[in-house]
Amino acid sequence: MITTLIGRELLNNLMTFRFAAALFITLLLVVANTVVLIKDYEQRLESYNASVKTHHQEIREKQTYSAGEVEVDRPPNPLSIFNVGLDKRLGNEIWISHNYVPTLWEARMNASDNPYLNILSSIDIVFIFEVVLSLMALLFAYDALAGEREQGTLRLVLTHPIRRGHILLAKYISAMLCLLVPLLLSLLFALILLTTTTSISLEADDFLRIGGIVLTSIAYLSVFYLIGLLISAVTQRTGTALMLAMFVWGALVLVYPNLILAAIRSSDIPQAKAVSTFNQIKQVWDEFDRERKQYLATDDFPGEDPTFNINGMGFFYEHFPEDPLTLLYFYYSMMTFGELDEKFEREVPHAQNYFRFLIPSTIKTAERAWLLRKQALEDTLVRKSNMKRTLLKLSPVGMYDAATQAWAGTDLKGVRDFFNAVRQYRQTVIDYLDSKNAFASRKWFAADEGAVDWSTLPAFSFKRSGIETNAKRALPDLLLLLTVNLLLFMIIFLIFIKSEV
Amino acid sequence: MWHITKREIYDNLNSLRFALTTVLLLALMVTNAVKHLREHPKRVQRYQDAVTESLNHLTDRANDSLYTLAQYGPGNFYKKPSPLHFCANGGEFLLPDAVEVDEPPVFMTDSEGNRLLEGIWSLSYPDANLHNKDVGPNVSQVDWAFIIGSILSLIALWFTFDAFSGEREQGTLRLMLANSIPRHTVLIGKFLGALLSISIPFALAVLVNLLLISTADTVYLTTEAWGRLGIIFALALLYTSLFVALGLLVSARVQQSAVSLMILLLMWVTLVVFMPSTLASIASSFSPAMSFDEFWKQRNPIKEDLWDKYKEGLWSSELDDSKLRAKSEFYTENAEREERWQEEQLKYRTSQVHRARAITSISPATLLQHLIESFAGTGFERHLQFAENVQRYTRQLREFVADTDRADPESLHILGVREGMSKKLVNPAAVPKFEDTLNLSKDFNTTAMELLLLTLFVLVLLSGAYLAFVRVEV
Repeated sequence: MITTLIGRELLNNLMTFRFAAALFITLLLVVANTVVLIKDYEQRLESYNASVKTHHQEIREKQTYSAGEVEVDRPPNPLSIFNVGLDKRLGNEIWISHNYVPTLWEARMNASDNPYLNILSSIDIVFIFEVVLSLMALLFAYDALAGEREQGTLRLVLTHPIRRGHILLAKYISAMLCLLVPLLLSLLFALILLTTTTSISLEADDFLRIGGIVLTSIAYLSVFYLIGLLISAVTQRTGTALMLAMFVWGALVLVYPNLILAAIRSSDIPQAKAVSTFNQIKQVWDEFDRERKQYLATDDFPGEDPTFNINGMGFFYEHFPEDPLTLLYFYYSMMTFGELDEKFEREVPHAQNYFRFLIPSTIKTAERAWLLRKQALEDTLVRKSNMKRTLLKLSPVGMYDAATQAWAGTDLKGVRDFFNAVRQYRQTVIDYLDSKNAFASRKWFAADEGAVDWSTLPAFSFKRSGIETNAKRALPDLLLLLTVNLLLFMIIFLIFIKSEV
Repeated sequence: MWHITKREIYDNLNSLRFALTTVLLLALMVTNAVKHLREHPKRVQRYQDAVTESLNHLTDRANDSLYTLAQYGPGNFYKKPSPLHFCANGGEFLLPDAVEVDEPPVFMTDSEGNRLLEGIWSLSYPDANLHNKDVGPNVSQVDWAFIIGSILSLIALWFTFDAFSGEREQGTLRLMLANSIPRHTVLIGKFLGALLSISIPFALAVLVNLLLISTADTVYLTTEAWGRLGIIFALALLYTSLFVALGLLVSARVQQSAVSLMILLLMWVTLVVFMPSTLASIASSFSPAMSFDEFWKQRNPIKEDLWDKYKEGLWSSELDDSKLRAKSEFYTENAEREERWQEEQLKYRTSQVHRARAITSISPATLLQHLIESFAGTGFERHLQFAENVQRYTRQLREFVADTDRADPESLHILGVREGMSKKLVNPAAVPKFEDTLNLSKDFNTTAMELLLLTLFVLVLLSGAYLAFVRVEV
């Protein structure tokens, strides 16, 4: 019996203008945008590759260890085509040094293209689904019950010995089948375009991630269909149902996300906690500075000159860069000379001793400051943004966006994976320098006995987190979507059971 | 005709959609006002602090000597925040808010650190304010441009999708046409009725919004700002009538109101949501951005060429005027070239943005966005105007320095070199100050094209609706 119902509903839906329109518009938008998005990704990849090459070259030209500033780049995520998330917005170039522990707030944008073009809006595939699919789902649902009630066919159907639950289920299944056609077909086209582009190499895991996105899209679609069905169940006339459905759509998709973000106070004044942590970090470095000066005062070399009077072709500088907003404060110094006059030969051992003391001390202080900073950054910057994300999830749009970002790995956690890898790499670089005994060597600041050989420096590589991690991050939101589905279905069922026809 | 209009308005006033619309618009407009009141004073404070600082730089340098002023120039220039920021945010957070004054370069020093060869200040245009410190969800704005562009247009379709098809379904259309009313009167009546019924909740929301903003003592609106607000309100009505006409057109041709709404919604999604972004992406990928390295490569030959040109004059051993003159010329030309290079980069990028914006102008939503931006004094065009203001001022300042120097008979009139310039004190009050201004008539000129295009869209759609309705069978 239920198959007959499904068959009837399916035919009813498939032969309509709205089905054709839905199919056409989704295909058109997805294909047109995928082409553009792929092109954009290729551009970003190209500039990433160029930047990696430049940085690779730059480090090899550095003559002393002290001058060797390692820069690493963040590769663009190919799944940003589906949901761009934070992939394009956060910095993609970061400087690694023993003086401080890097975070995503120190990353810069590599200045390769026209930054003014950012004022033009851009979209991704998930956004298209967010707007179009939800609209389609509501348009398929608004007259499902109200329409039959108006035409009187609902009464006719119910005169047969059919359970009301079966009618609902048949309507739900057939409409979802119809709605899946534009969704899956357009995704298929997008996938074909993706896989035929040679510059994009998708791993096996990526297909699973895309599968996760599809699954989430279906859950999202179903939420909006059920919202439409609910409206249809409580209204008597299709006109009213349509009007209400449109209002709900506008409110959930357009108004709510914008309204809630605008309503939350976004202050740029550092909170008291941030200020006190910043002062603590400063104190840690002040302590370091005192010890440093103490060392200079008590070592064999007279005076407190950190350059030990050494001079020549090259430079020396030291300062404390700071950024109170992101709680950044550290000691930064560089001393590097190409040629050294023979008259400085007596001072060189003093300098070597100094650096043997200074660099490990700097590293230790950087670790201490980082422990303070890490917690405070979590408490101020990250918590606030996570609160905004949570509030966004009051609308299914927010859940869908969060879940697909997690699948694609373009969410905050996914981007932070990269910076965790960067921090690990910093440790590797320090260990490497330590193993070369670089801090105490003459080559730390002078290249007169030959330049540093950088060829054995371990290279940086970053692999996106595995599919299990993506799944773990996406699952809460996906489950939330499914729960909303279930709840809505139960409410509709109860209303429909009790309603008079 | 007035009878039909009145009937339409009464019909709408009692409907559910009218109530929902009022609630929606009020919520949006109140949020907008509250946000503006919260953020605008901070923005103004930041601007004033920055301006005071650069003014202090200017005064200090003028107090020091004419030479210091000529060499170090004024402090950085800052873009004045528009009091109408709540109308259109215009991607301001992505645009730089300053034009910087670069410190004079030092090419050579002797062993004691005395500068043997240096330069003079020049302008540089910093890259966009990249907000990569914020890790929150993507920023979205509830400004008037969004409320009018997306929400009001949707509401317009919501009010008109069943204008004819609904009456046709109920049979009242036949009844009405059976009376001796010409069809165009019916059409105009319906048009005015829908437009007025949308204007009522919109005007109400705008009034509440402006009441909140103008009564707060932290924000002050000038008479000119009120004039601009009036223009923006008129633009909103023009834009709404476009969508009303579109709704009437589709409604007249389609038999069922459900189908009519579906078509309209799909059109809306394409016109308002997708066309602006997709076309912009396509347009910007047509002409790939020139990379920073390429610009840098273009710059280097200019520099080397300059060295060759002045090599002899700079290294001549005689200590006379000709060496000073060579230095002065070298400094000036170096700064000029630096500035020209910066300007070219800005121009290149600007032309790219302009091209993309021109293509997206096919969508009325983008047209409206641009129009509101230029009347609110925000956005890209405003940024260019600011850069132009800065350029004009720097010319003025350089002329002032030259004139002051010329007025001193004891000076050698060799600018940029300490020995060659006037030693007299400069009165800091006499130095021209930078003022970032907005010009309404200029805004009208730059937007005339877009205004015409939008009006054209409305007229085309209205006549389309007329033709459709006149020829349709009832």
